[in-house]
Amino acid sequence: MSEQRYIEGTDIPRVPVDPITLQVLGGEFKSVAQEMGMILYRMSYSSIIRESEDLGAGICDTMCRQICESENSPMHAGSVGGYIKGILTRLEGNIHEGDVIIHNDPHHGASHAPDVQIVIPIFYEGTHIGYSAINAHLVDIGNSGAGVSTTSRDAVSEATVLYALKLYENGKRNDQLWQMILDNTRTPSMNANDIDALIAAAEHGKKRFLEVVEKYGLPVVFSAEEEWFEYTERILREQISKAPDGVYYAEEFLDDDGIDLDTRLKVACKIIIEGDHMTVDLSDSSPQVPTAVNCPFSGSTKPAINTVIHSVFLDAEEFGNFVPQNEGLERPITFIVPEGNLFNPRYPAATSARFNATNRLADTMLQALAQAVPRNVAAGCSGNLHYIVYSGYMEDQDEFWVYGEVNEGCYGGRPGKDGMDTVDCLIANTRNMPVEESEWHYPIRVERYEMRDDVPAAPGQWRGGKGIIRNTSFLSDGYIGCEGDGHYHIPKGLFGGMDGAPARFTKNSGKHDEKAMISKPSSEFMKAGDSIQVETPCGGGYGDPLEREPELVLEDILDGFAWFEQAERDYGVVIDQTAMTVDLSATQALRAARKS
Amino acid sequence: MKRIGIDVGGTFTDFIYVDEDQTEVYKTSTTPHDPSVGIMDGIHAICEKTGTKPEEIDEIFHGTTIATNMVLERKGSEVGMITTEGFRDVLQTARHKRPYNFSIMQDLPWQTHPVCKRRNRYGVTERVVPPSGAVYKPLDEEQVRKAVHKMKRDGITAIAVCFMFSFLNPAHERRVKELILEEIPDAYISLRSDIAPRFREYESFTTTCLNSYVGPKTAAYIENLINTLKASGFVNANLHLMQSGGGVATGEAAAEQPVNLLMSGPAGGVLGACYTARLTEVNDIITLDIGGTSADIAVLPNLRPGMKHLLDTQVGGFSAMVPMIDIMTIGAGGGSLAYIDEGGFFRVGPESAGAVPGPACYDRGGKVPTVTDANILLGRLGTELLGGRMTIRPELAVQAIEETLAPALNMPMLDCAQGIIDIMNSNMVRAIEKESIRRGRDARQFALFACGGAGALHACAVARMLGMKQVMIPLNPGALCAVGLCTTDLLYDFSKTSMMLSTKVDNERLQADFEELEAKAHQRLIEDGVPESDIRLKRIIECRYEGQGYELRAELDGGNVTPESVAGMLERFHMAHKDFFGRFYGETPVEFATLRVEGVGVMPQLETNRIEVGTQDASGALTGHRGVYFKDHGEKLKLFETSVYDRAKLKAGNVVSGPAIINQMDTTIVVEPECIAGVNEYGVILIDIDCTERNG
Repeated sequence: MSEQRYIEGTDIPRVPVDPITLQVLGGEFKSVAQEMGMILYRMSYSSIIRESEDLGAGICDTMCRQICESENSPMHAGSVGGYIKGILTRLEGNIHEGDVIIHNDPHHGASHAPDVQIVIPIFYEGTHIGYSAINAHLVDIGNSGAGVSTTSRDAVSEATVLYALKLYENGKRNDQLWQMILDNTRTPSMNANDIDALIAAAEHGKKRFLEVVEKYGLPVVFSAEEEWFEYTERILREQISKAPDGVYYAEEFLDDDGIDLDTRLKVACKIIIEGDHMTVDLSDSSPQVPTAVNCPFSGSTKPAINTVIHSVFLDAEEFGNFVPQNEGLERPITFIVPEGNLFNPRYPAATSARFNATNRLADTMLQALAQAVPRNVAAGCSGNLHYIVYSGYMEDQDEFWVYGEVNEGCYGGRPGKDGMDTVDCLIANTRNMPVEESEWHYPIRVERYEMRDDVPAAPGQWRGGKGIIRNTSFLSDGYIGCEGDGHYHIPKGLFGGMDGAPARFTKNSGKHDEKAMISKPSSEFMKAGDSIQVETPCGGGYGDPLEREPELVLEDILDGFAWFEQAERDYGVVIDQTAMTVDLSATQALRAARKS
Repeated sequence: MKRIGIDVGGTFTDFIYVDEDQTEVYKTSTTPHDPSVGIMDGIHAICEKTGTKPEEIDEIFHGTTIATNMVLERKGSEVGMITTEGFRDVLQTARHKRPYNFSIMQDLPWQTHPVCKRRNRYGVTERVVPPSGAVYKPLDEEQVRKAVHKMKRDGITAIAVCFMFSFLNPAHERRVKELILEEIPDAYISLRSDIAPRFREYESFTTTCLNSYVGPKTAAYIENLINTLKASGFVNANLHLMQSGGGVATGEAAAEQPVNLLMSGPAGGVLGACYTARLTEVNDIITLDIGGTSADIAVLPNLRPGMKHLLDTQVGGFSAMVPMIDIMTIGAGGGSLAYIDEGGFFRVGPESAGAVPGPACYDRGGKVPTVTDANILLGRLGTELLGGRMTIRPELAVQAIEETLAPALNMPMLDCAQGIIDIMNSNMVRAIEKESIRRGRDARQFALFACGGAGALHACAVARMLGMKQVMIPLNPGALCAVGLCTTDLLYDFSKTSMMLSTKVDNERLQADFEELEAKAHQRLIEDGVPESDIRLKRIIECRYEGQGYELRAELDGGNVTPESVAGMLERFHMAHKDFFGRFYGETPVEFATLRVEGVGVMPQLETNRIEVGTQDASGALTGHRGVYFKDHGEKLKLFETSVYDRAKLKAGNVVSGPAIINQMDTTIVVEPECIAGVNEYGVILIDIDCTERNG
């Protein structure tokens, strides 16, 4: 007989779970997390939560291992447990039934300071068995500029630090703490309601998980958890082992840190595949910098890596939605990211503007993996994001208005498919705010929001995606701040595809006082009538453009993705301009001549 | 009153005829190339069967998937669009969110199959702005003329006009319509301010474009059907079409706004369920409609269908901003495949064997076991289906399981079969729980209403897992949609975005806005010939707490808008929020976003016919016995000697104790052990779960 095994970190026996119960519990785990996310984003107040779904929810065991996760934003993939680990550095041994803990400290597991997590411990028959936890981006958390702190020099200046504080202790609410938190933001009423919604969602998770435990018993539930970890691990290992062993390297860069505008920040990614195991080594990336673009390791770097691995090796297009994002996904991976690196900064580094670092990292990983699994990747993606915060102070109402806007990018071309246009890229997956909502509520006017047409899509057998252009005017005086990137970086073409186009950011475009903006302005004053225009990057092409189906080139011209003069020059396609049809024989001849 | 309901489905077209003393159902095969062929065949057949002359028919109610299929199969018209300059690619970007988080290779349906191609989208200078709809840039008519001229050259006649904020001031859109008609007199034009005068440009533009996308072909279909009916002698029958919001529209109204027909298919079933439940004492039901590939679930407290949330009203990957009954569809049906996945786990669905190759036991080449195969092996399904028109081969089901699942799971064949059923049922249980929790309801307080071909096979087990006490099965579970069609009222929905805060209510503006919407609804109903006494108008305000993103509906009393009536509406809103989210904020200002008027033209009640009365003794309907496997007290599988009954012979008052099987042409009812079924005076079967003695 084999020896009795126990669930890690507990005295709960590990028992066999029949395949049917395993399926039922797998479904239950998923439902619990999805319901938590749904409650939050449907009742929350700030657009960054409800429209962008910039949130993550899940249940963790007492070892902080994530049993399940809501699928709202990939940015939060696998980040929930790290927050709890951070909380325990202060509250270990001091967790009680009825506690509600608030936490946002990026040097103790948080993703970045604006992403505030609520954690409620779960007790069953008096024993602590796990945590219900949910985090979301609050629109302002006492940042140095309204909603952004790109150029903050340290973690204290960029936000209010909430390090493992109990909003409720043993069921009793700490009103003074609550007040202190709200007094230190520009959006107190919105934050109050959002935190309330976070608590409601976490309470729901606790209640639902306890129902599951009640029904199946602790040993079966936690044994099923272990089996699901092992399942995810097994299925990922199988996919990794199909890729050829080797060392794959790519490097890209970030524009700058927002203050020192002359130094590009290197993003270097070495991936080593050995059998069913993978090492991700970021050692050669830039050291940490004295602004807020550093990327916390557990809260942001790891989720970015998890997202790419999940997307490339277990693509939902092929695997459906059924491989759960859980602890098992990290087991075949070794992370090498030394302290002091841009992707693992030491205290007191500021980190709140880390998003572009994570997305550039994701794009760089894709380019490295292109050498190993060329059929699973896209050519260079926008790999950035322009998060623009519009703000002002309404004298008549004695209140700030703060509106954070995620400006999407696009994907590079893909094997068998063109790049996705005007869509959130890689680690980002938010929902935009309708113009008919933002203009109604804020003193702004959107003059233009459409696909860029100053450049054609990057040619390739599969063309690159296109970014957006958005132009917004202020109707009263205010400020903009922005976390952006990709003004210097150009998305790369892959396997013969051509490069994409970089981003641009312009104040008062087309006016006499037009001004090119850097990608990370902190607080730019905007007087009434001033406008700000963002153009986001266009992705690279995949494969040789001479291989593109000639009919598709014609379609591209009709729809404005390609320009007429490109047909022969870039694609080797001859088009009869009067009939607007492809001249097939002339095309074949031209392409043959080009290739020889 | 003599009426006929016609529901065109993917495989079959169902008919029901109802008058004062007769109800008759009929089924034909759907004729996909031209559904009216199957319709005319069936309608003549059912008239013949009931001895009715065509000219005697008063009403024809029709549910059609023609518009839905056009969207799903991407076979609508080539659409041209005129929109505000600077917003040409709203359709391309959608809400800039990908369907999957973790996928490089996914498709964005709104980009791979745009409802209007980019080459046909024209931006023109114009703009109106909030909050009043003031003109910020006047309409450039020259640009419009040029765009229309180009469309004419390209042969485009289906056109959508979508301007920003046009719900505040439709003047520019209306002028564009005049300009189009000057150049293209036969154009099919959809104005955003008519079709979806609500804020959120992506959803509203898409809805308007979808209307033009399905418009010309749907209008032609309806016109052709009306003409064919008239030519075939149905000269006195009014044709009404089912809409996704749960009411019917006249043929003329449906042809103008065919976008309202999208996803109307399952709505008939829900209405049929409500109608059936009214024939019993049960007030709260959850419907479970299981077909071959999917299952539809709807939660109906007080027998009132809910409406879908804005984020969920999608068709084929496009957002359609039209009222839709809140029905959830999951990929679980009789054809769902059971298999071992790449990680070694046992799965059932969502992939389905479909009609071809079908379940293994159908002997059409299927090698992978399905839910149907499991039901056959456990004896729950008989070996003759569709009243003997189809014979099946259980040995092929055995073979499928023994070759795939049994060795991998190291379980006996029958336990594998039961495992398939358990996983299938648990998928449905979770979906029902999620649906009821989402709406703040406790499933245990509801009866489970089973319909579709396979609903009654699983209902007892599903109800038991959920802790529900009762299962209800209508007289004709397969023809329920057709029944539902005959029970609906005329329903038109008019809405308008008009934002206002509860702290600054302008009663006069509200009054004026509602009167304008009511006048539209009233006029529409009068045009349809509804007498004044049968017209009902309902006011709804879609509100949210200030700062929130999504609205909930709250009813406002009719008559003059007063502080009291607004307070009553706000109270209903707070309660709706509490229902949905478990809490409400009495002190927070409430924002009114969209005003809505539902205009109802009340139709005469459907006559209901009683069945023959008998005693408790159901032996008159007994046709034999067979061995069926059930779990003994929820534990091990055990073979039970099980009575088999013919539903057609059951009489009112009959009682059937489980385990039992009740067969009828379009379904098989499983009465599990410790369950007791009773038949009521209208033929509805009610099964009490976990019960050894029948109450009453």
